[in-house]
Amino acid sequence: MLKEVIIELKNVEKHYQMGPDLVKALDGINLQIFSGDYISILGPSGGGKSTLLNVLGCLDQPSVGTYLLEGHDVSSMNDDDLSQIRGKRLGFIFQSYNLIQQLNVLENIEVPMFYRGVPESESREVAAYLADKVGLGQRMHHKPTELSGGQQQRVAIARALANDPAVILADEATGNLDSKSGRDILQIFDDLNQEGKTLVMITHDEGMAERTPRVIRLKDGKIVFDERKEVKR
Amino acid sequence: MKPENIQSTMRLQGLTPLRLKRSIVLGFKSIWMRKLRSLLTALGIVFGVCSVISMLAIGEGASYEAQEQIKSLGSQNIILQSMKPSDSSGSSEQNRSVVLEYGITYDDIAQIQETVPGVNSIVPNRKVKDFIWFLSNSIDATAVGTVAWFPQMRNRILKQGRFFTQVENDTRSNVCVLTEKLANKLFPLHSPVGKTVRMRTSYFTVIGIIEDQVVAAKNDGTAESQAQSDSEDGMEMFVPINVLKEHFGDVLFKYRSGSFEAEKVELHEVTIQVEHSDLVVSSSKAIKNVLSRNHRNQDYKITIPLELMQQAERTKQIFNIVLGSIAAISLVVGGIGIMNIMLATVTERTREIGIRRALGAKKNDIVLQFLIETILLSGIGGLIGVGLGISIPQLISHFAEMKTIIQIWAPTAAFSISVLIGIVFGIYPAMRAAAMRPVEALRHE
Repeated sequence: MLKEVIIELKNVEKHYQMGPDLVKALDGINLQIFSGDYISILGPSGGGKSTLLNVLGCLDQPSVGTYLLEGHDVSSMNDDDLSQIRGKRLGFIFQSYNLIQQLNVLENIEVPMFYRGVPESESREVAAYLADKVGLGQRMHHKPTELSGGQQQRVAIARALANDPAVILADEATGNLDSKSGRDILQIFDDLNQEGKTLVMITHDEGMAERTPRVIRLKDGKIVFDERKEVKR
Repeated sequence: MKPENIQSTMRLQGLTPLRLKRSIVLGFKSIWMRKLRSLLTALGIVFGVCSVISMLAIGEGASYEAQEQIKSLGSQNIILQSMKPSDSSGSSEQNRSVVLEYGITYDDIAQIQETVPGVNSIVPNRKVKDFIWFLSNSIDATAVGTVAWFPQMRNRILKQGRFFTQVENDTRSNVCVLTEKLANKLFPLHSPVGKTVRMRTSYFTVIGIIEDQVVAAKNDGTAESQAQSDSEDGMEMFVPINVLKEHFGDVLFKYRSGSFEAEKVELHEVTIQVEHSDLVVSSSKAIKNVLSRNHRNQDYKITIPLELMQQAERTKQIFNIVLGSIAAISLVVGGIGIMNIMLATVTERTREIGIRRALGAKKNDIVLQFLIETILLSGIGGLIGVGLGISIPQLISHFAEMKTIIQIWAPTAAFSISVLIGIVFGIYPAMRAAAMRPVEALRHE
C-alpha cells in the first residue's frame, strides 16, 4: 500500500533555556506520518510528547531541523503563514476541550472557518452538518457550559474537522472524561480514521496503544519505539 | 465529507465588510457576556460625554440669553445714561443747593447731533417713578417719556395696539403704551387698550402693549447688568416725552426716610443710533469728548452694546475653553478606565486568544477583535452619554427654568471623541493580546 507522506520531521530538536541549562525537549526526531495514519504517542511526563505535538501543530517552531507539512517547510514560515497553516491544514483537540465560552455549539464549530474567510451562510451549513455527525444535532444552540464533558469534546472534534484538515492532533483527548464518554470519543476517532482521516494522539493510556495501528514511544526527547501492527476492530 | 474543494481554501483573507460585521457581532457577544463589567467600564465615557453635552448646552443657553439682551439694546446704538455723581467728586457748592442738578441735557443732545458724524437718530428718555392707577389698582412703576421711533431702535415689538406717533408727541396727546408685565399686573381682568390710567394727577389712554425688555439672569456677569443699571423691574409706561415734560416738569422729588431730596435731570437715558456698526467705536469717542467738555463731574455713563456683545463673545470663548478642558480630562479618564479593564480582560482571556490562534487567527485578527470590543464599549458608552446629555439639559430647562441650547455639533463631536478614545486606548491592550505566543496562551490557566 503506497501512501502519501503528509508530515516529515528531519532531525528536529527543540531547546529550552531553563536557567543556566539548555534543555533539549526534543532531541533528533525523525518521523514520517502518512495519509490515513492513526498514531498514539506515549511516553513518560517530560518525555517531550507535548513539545512534539506543539511542533507538529505549528504552535511552536523547532530550534533545529526541518519540518515539512504537505511538502511546505514550516520551520521557515512567518507568524501569519503559521496561523494560516494551523487554521487550514490542522485540527486540534485538547484535553480541556478549549471551547470559546461565549459562543454556542454551532458558532464554536464555525471559528476555524471564520478565520479562513468562509461566508457565514456556507460555514453555518457545514457546522450544522458536523454537529450532527458528532451526535449533537439536538444541541446546536447550547453554550459550552450547558454541555457535559463528553459533549464538549464532541464539539471540539467537530471544530477540528471544520476545515477538512490534513491531520487531526489530539492532546489527551479523553483525559478529562469518564470511561464511558472516553470510549465514545475514541469510537469517533476510530470512525474518522476509517473514513481516511489522519489522526495523531498523545496519551498516557496504554489501552490506547492497543487501539491504534501505529504506536510511537518517546523518552527524553527521543523516539525509542515506532511500530505498526494489525488492529482488529 | 464536505461540500468543498481545495480551491476554496485558497480564498483571499481580506478585511471584507462582511467579516467586519461578524467581528462586530462577536464583539457584542463578548461584551454582553460580561454585562455588569461592561456597563461599569463604559460608565466613565457615559459621564464624560453626558457632562460635556449638558455643560455646553447650559453655557450656550446662558450666553444666548445674554446675547439676546444685548442685541435688544441694538448693535448700532450708543446708550447714554444719567448718573447721580458720587459725593466725593461733587463740588461743595452743589452739595448745598436744594436741587441736585445732573445728567445729560437737551444741549448735549443738540451738540452731539451737530458735531458727531454718522449719527442716524437719537431717542431721548425721561423717567418718572410713581404709582400708576387703574380704578383701585395701583402699581409702583416708571413713566418713560420718549419719542415715536423708540421701539424700532431698541428692537422691541408691539404686542397689542400701536406705539404713539410723532404727531401725538408734538400735540401732547395723553396716550401711553404699557409693557406687557405692567399691563398684566394693572389689568388682570380687562383688556388694557382703550382704558385710562392715572399717574399723579394726569390721565393717559392706553393705546398699545409693548414686549418686556429681555432680562438676563442677574448672576451672569457684569456686562449685561451694566446695561440695566437702573435695575428696572420692567414696570414701564411709555408716554410722549413732551407730555411727560409738561405734566411732571424737570425736577423730581424723592422722599427718603423722613427727609426729601430733589433732583433735576433733563434726560435719563439717550439712545444714539449711528449709521453703521463700524462707526460705533469712533462715534462713541466723539460723544465722550462732547460730554466731557460739558460735564465736569462724571454724571453720565456710556454703554456700547456692540462692545458688550464682543465682551460676551470673549467670555463665552473662555467658558468654552474651560469646558473643553474639563471634557477632555473626563474623557481621558474614561479612556484610561477602559484601557485598564481591557488589559485585565486580555489577561483573563489569554486562553481564548490561544484557542483562536490555534484555530487559524492571525495576530491582526486578534488585534481587530479586541480593538472592536473596546470601540464598541466606548461607542455604546458614548451613545448612552449622548442620550443622557440631551435629556439632562431639557430637565434643567424644565425644572430650573434656565435656557439650554444643544448645538448639533456638540453630541456629534462628543460621540466621535468617545469612539476615538476607544481606538487610542484599545490599541495597547489589543497589541498585547496579539503578541502572546500561542503555545503559552494555550497553557494559561
